[in-house]
Amino acid sequence: MDQLASRFFGNTFVLAAEECDLTQPVCVPEDFTELFVLPNIFGQVNRTILLMFLAALIVVVVLWAALRKPKLVPGKFQAAIEALVGFVRDEIAVGIIGPEGVKYFPYLLSIFMFILVGNLFEVTPAINFPITSRMAIPAFLALCTYFIYLVTGFARHKFTYLKEIVWPSYVPIALRPLVGIIELAQYFVIRPFSLAVRLFANLVAGHTMLSLLLATGIIFIGAAIGGEVSILKGGAGILWFAMGLLIFLFELLVSVLQAYIFTLLSAVYIEDAVHFGH
Amino acid sequence: MNSWYLAAEESGGGGLDLLLPPLPELIGGIIAFAIVFIFIWKFASPAINRLLEQRQSAIAGQLAEAEKAKAEAESLLADYRAQLAEAREQANQIIEEARNQAETMKNEIVSRAEQQAAEIVAKAREEAQAERARALAEARREVANLSIDLAERVVGEALDREAQLGLVERYIAELESK
Repeated sequence: MDQLASRFFGNTFVLAAEECDLTQPVCVPEDFTELFVLPNIFGQVNRTILLMFLAALIVVVVLWAALRKPKLVPGKFQAAIEALVGFVRDEIAVGIIGPEGVKYFPYLLSIFMFILVGNLFEVTPAINFPITSRMAIPAFLALCTYFIYLVTGFARHKFTYLKEIVWPSYVPIALRPLVGIIELAQYFVIRPFSLAVRLFANLVAGHTMLSLLLATGIIFIGAAIGGEVSILKGGAGILWFAMGLLIFLFELLVSVLQAYIFTLLSAVYIEDAVHFGH
Repeated sequence: MNSWYLAAEESGGGGLDLLLPPLPELIGGIIAFAIVFIFIWKFASPAINRLLEQRQSAIAGQLAEAEKAKAEAESLLADYRAQLAEAREQANQIIEEARNQAETMKNEIVSRAEQQAAEIVAKAREEAQAERARALAEARREVANLSIDLAERVVGEALDREAQLGLVERYIAELESK
């Protein structure tokens, strides 16, 4: 039961406390993938998958609550959600893509909200785990954006789309093979890969830093109080913990920023496909 | 911090493992995102668009209404101002009229009083004149009679009274003309 609870509520601290070598300056788990690869709770379902559904549920509930009976003169909650949704609609969808951006607005809002909630799980007490630090979501969403802009590009510009990528008419002929190869890699490999890895790597780094700093801080302070280590080590623990709190605030910013960047770049790629060659 | 690198090495390229999503998480992520997308596609996005349109039309309507109310208020104000000016003018006119009336009335009264005074004075003068004339005639007759009486007494006989009277009269008239 204890083990199930730890799997359900997250096992960062349990792992760190069990494996912490108090002689080291920082507690580091033997295998740091343990911070991310969570054990199954039932069947093939682990905590990460449950959190994915929780994130979906939160997005649905929040939007439902704000827009179920929308008032022309919104209350505080409706106004806040409207500001967020309006930002994605007016600044990202229409702002980047243009009037046609309204068509892509549902997708852009979906990725923004889902990634935002998934990122914020990193700094949510009792959750403390960003589901976007697992490659599944970044990879899938990057692929979605990838297919959307490729399909849009080919549907709108037919063969010219591919031709202009491989043999771009806006560069001197001598440079075309080189630019063509770069562009080909750019459109078909680098864009989706960088989109996915940027989000994933940011959240992996953030979660790692937060886990190690906060866990080390708490463990060192606890050990100092218990007399297992010197007062100096306890002081170092306070330092690590304070640094962890600082990173915590920073990660709050990163969570929002990465959700924004992912959505923004998706919009930019789609815009490029819509108005290709302009 | 050495342990950090050690840990990373010991994990045997754990970082690379992290790059490949395990199938259950991939499926979970896809389903979770699909829920979000379908919800937003079918509900949230239309709701937002509808709301924005409603708000836009409501604001436009309110603006037009406010514009109308403002125009109405302005015309009303102009009306009131005109009415006020008219009323003021009327009041001035009435005052002016009243003043004129009072002036003519005053003049009338004064002239009538003057006329009456003049009449009274004239009458009094006339009466005095008449009185004086009468008194003079009386005195004249008395003087004549006295003179005749005196003369009769001197002469010792009655004189022709009528002739004597005429004589005296003529004499007095002569005196007067001198």
